[in-house]
Order: sequence, then C-alpha cells, then structure tokens
Amino acid sequence: MNKVLLLAEILTVASALIVGFHPNILYASVFLLFTFCGVAVMFLFAGADFLAGAQVIIYVGGVTILILFAIMLTQWLYKIKLADIRNKMVVPALLSAAVGVFLYRALHQMVAALPPQTPEALEKFTATPKTAAIGQALLGGYLFPFEAITILLLGAMVGAVWLARPE
Amino acid sequence: MVQSAQFAHSLEGWFGFLPLWGWAAISAGLVIYMLALPFGGLATYIERKIAADMQDRIGPNRVGPIGIFQFAADAIKMLSKEDFVPKGGDRFLFNLAPLFVVVGSCTAFAVLPLSKYLIGADVNIGVIFLLAVTTLIAPGLLLGSWASENKWSLLGGLRAASQIVSYEIPVALSILPVVLISGSLQIGQIVEQQGWTVFGENPATNHFWNAFHNPFTFFSMFLLFVGGLAETNRIPFDLPEAESELVSGFNTEFSGMRFGLYALGEFCDVFVMSAMVTALYLGGWHIPFLDIEKLGFALPTGLVAFIQFHMFMIKTLLVVFVVMWLRWTLPRLRVDQLMGMCWKGLLPLAFFNVLGTALWMWVFKGQSLMQLLAGHG
Repeated sequence: MNKVLLLAEILTVASALIVGFHPNILYASVFLLFTFCGVAVMFLFAGADFLAGAQVIIYVGGVTILILFAIMLTQWLYKIKLADIRNKMVVPALLSAAVGVFLYRALHQMVAALPPQTPEALEKFTATPKTAAIGQALLGGYLFPFEAITILLLGAMVGAVWLARPE
Repeated sequence: MVQSAQFAHSLEGWFGFLPLWGWAAISAGLVIYMLALPFGGLATYIERKIAADMQDRIGPNRVGPIGIFQFAADAIKMLSKEDFVPKGGDRFLFNLAPLFVVVGSCTAFAVLPLSKYLIGADVNIGVIFLLAVTTLIAPGLLLGSWASENKWSLLGGLRAASQIVSYEIPVALSILPVVLISGSLQIGQIVEQQGWTVFGENPATNHFWNAFHNPFTFFSMFLLFVGGLAETNRIPFDLPEAESELVSGFNTEFSGMRFGLYALGEFCDVFVMSAMVTALYLGGWHIPFLDIEKLGFALPTGLVAFIQFHMFMIKTLLVVFVVMWLRWTLPRLRVDQLMGMCWKGLLPLAFFNVLGTALWMWVFKGQSLMQLLAGHG
C-alpha cells in the first residue's frame, strides 16, 4: 500500500474523530478542514484529479470558511460544551450509524457488481486524467440533471438575497 | 506530460532511498529557501525603495550597498524578538494560523512555469491546483485573528476571509477564458500555446499572448489582476489590515517570526498572483515574436531554460511593480464599496468575458486576432 495514501487516510480518520469528539466547536471545524484535505488526497489516488481540486476549493475555501464565520459570529454556538449535549447525542448517533451501514452495504454491492479488474487496468485507470471526461459528461449525457441543479442553486441564491434584504 | 495521480503514485518509486517525509521536508525547504524567502525578503526591500522613490525619499540605504541587505537585517531582528502569545488567546490556533498562510502561498510555487524545462510539477490540473492551494490562506487569516483574542484582529480577519472568498469567484471566472482557448488546465501547455514568431512557421495551436487573443481576454486579464489584488489584500483592497481603522488588522497581536511568516506569505502570494497573470495572459516564458528554440541553430537546453526563466521573471516582476505602484496611487475602498464592486462590477464583467470568448471561439473557429491578421492558422 502506498505510504502517502496511508498517511492521507490516517489524517482523514484522525481529524474526523477529533471533529466528532472535541469539546470546542471551533477546534472541531478546524480539524474538519484537515479531513477535507485528506479526502482530496484520497480522490487524487482514486484517479479523480479534478474532483480533488474542486474538493479543496469548495470545501476548504468555501464551506469551512462559512462554518468558521457562523461560529465566530454566534456567541452561544461557541459556548456550547460537549458535556451539555451528551444526553442529546443518542438519536443522532443511531442515525449516523444507520446511514454508515447503508452506505457501506450499497458501495459493497456496487463494487461486487463490477467486472473484476486487473491491478494493471486499475493503475491505468487512476493515471488517466478525468477532467475532459467530466466536462463531456456534464454537457452531454447528464445535461438535464446538471441544468436542474443549476436552477436549484439559483433558487437558493435568490432566497438568500431575499432573506438578507434590507428593510 | 505528468498526470497528477501518476505523479503521486510514482513518488515512492523515484525516491526510494530516503523516507518520503524526508523528501517532502527537503523539497519544501528548497522551495522556501530558493524561491519564497529570497523573493519575500527582496520584495520588502523593493517595496520600500519604490515607495521612497515615489515619495521623493532615499529609502533604506544603511545595510550593504544601496541598503540591499535591509531584509536580512529585518529577518534577524524578527528572529530575536520575544515569542509572544496574548493572554486569553488560543495558543494552538495562534501557532497554527501563520502556517496555513505560508503553506498556501509556497505550495503554489510548485506549478509556476518558470521556464519550459523548469517547472516543479506540470500537473494536468495546474490551474485548479493553483486556485486550490491558495484558498488555504483564508482560514489562516481568519483563525489567526480569532486566536489573538483582539477585536481589531477579529474584524480584520473577518474582512480578509469574506474578501478572499468573494473575489475568488471573479478570479476563477477570469481564468476560464484562457481554459476555453487552450482547452487545457495544464499551465505548461497553456504557456506553450502562447508562442508566436514573425519568422518561420507557427503551429496551428500557437496564438501569441492570451491577452491579445481577442478583446474579451484583454479585459479578462485586468479582471484577473484586480481580483488578484483583492485576494492578496493589497492596496486599494487592504481593508483587512487598514491601519487607520484596525490598528494593523489580523496580524496586530503577532510578533517576531510569526509576524514574519504572515508577511512572507503575503509577499509570496503577490508573486504567485503576478506569475499567474504572466503565465496565463502575458505569454509566460515566451519572448515576444521570437522563438529561441527555432533560431536555425540549436541552443543548449540549459541556456534556453536560463533565457526563458529571465523572460518570465522580467514579466512577473513588472506586474509586481504595478502592484507596488498602485499602493501609492489609489486610496483604500470602503467595505460596502469593496463588496459592491465584486458582486455588481467584476462578476457580471467576468461572465460577459467568458461568454464573449466562447462566442469568439465559435465565430472565428478558435483563431486569435494575430492568426486572423496573419491570414493563416
């Protein structure tokens, strides 16, 4: 196994654990940033080069910053301690576990349904760039879902502007 | 052509005799000592000299001939200062935050095309990589300002983060016309296609500098430059460190080498931004109207790389000079003006440029203005 990949996986899982269990919500969001970076490296090793770049730009540069903003501008959010909400954690934990099991089973079945691959074919697959293929798929066979998502995002943006309008 | 995934996979095979972290440390050290530190240091000196020239002063002139070692003296001064963490501040985040800024701006040096033969890693998602690693700077500023436990700092950090996140969008959209033209995200390939010679045969893909490809890309270059100015917190967009409003902004509480890291990261970021403008729009390492590899006689590769490197540096430093020149020319914007300019000014213009370039590519079948004038391509 590649050591860089192993390092990225350790980084991802360790940061994810800190995100889940650190009592300070600001630290949790900082380590969320490292989780996102680790996931980007894992994308890179899976051959999804464009996704890796987009992951960092959108999740590190956008989502993490938004979360940090929300924490820093909301006083009561920063003061929440893990101990205060421990008894409220049972249902979310059960839900997350259920989602985890579902995802694992679904992915397992998907991988099992694929034809068996030789290591050489896999290596060739991970070494070919995917950017052009993604672009052609988005503006080719998947044009309708792509446009539908655009309209959804446009609606969300108009809603945000409407909510934030000066009165 | 090195693919990024392949590059990542082959790392182990190439450098088996040292553990990987050893190589990572060495290459990071090389980038910082060979490129980032000299540039960051000299840029502070050049900035002060240019400022002095514009204000009819002499500027630094004591350390070394014409004061050129001033930056070394500054570095020694910073290293010998007290290592201070404010009371009530967050020590861990306070230590971590400057590293984000340095990592973000120094990693970008890896994909800068200093010459055809001198480019750290010509990855196939080069432009995306450049945008991705520089986004690490925003969390660095935000966390550093929070950890300082200082209201001025926090205001500066919040301003910096919102400014960088907003201006990221026009910057990315101003890069898009270049990607449309070259059909590639690989920086080496984008620069390669900007060659144009008056002698000899031009390949059909070559079309002079992207800035002069069509009228839309010409405006797009200025949008990229203005957006880059805002992303690097330079005047007239230096609201995050507006000294008359916020003491010194996000880095108020930082002292010694931590402050130095912030300053270094900032100057490196200016260089990276200027290099990006040069590589994407100003032809990168190409000498205008001349291809030194097709002179009729072969030059040694080392000499070609040497000449190209200097051409690239001349262009980049000219852009850096414009950045410093603007500092003493334009007044600072207000916060609402800043955001209004991004969302109501730059963003629609960037969309207009992308659509215009796409239209040009469709109407003239991808030929540049130069190729149309020359009547072939």
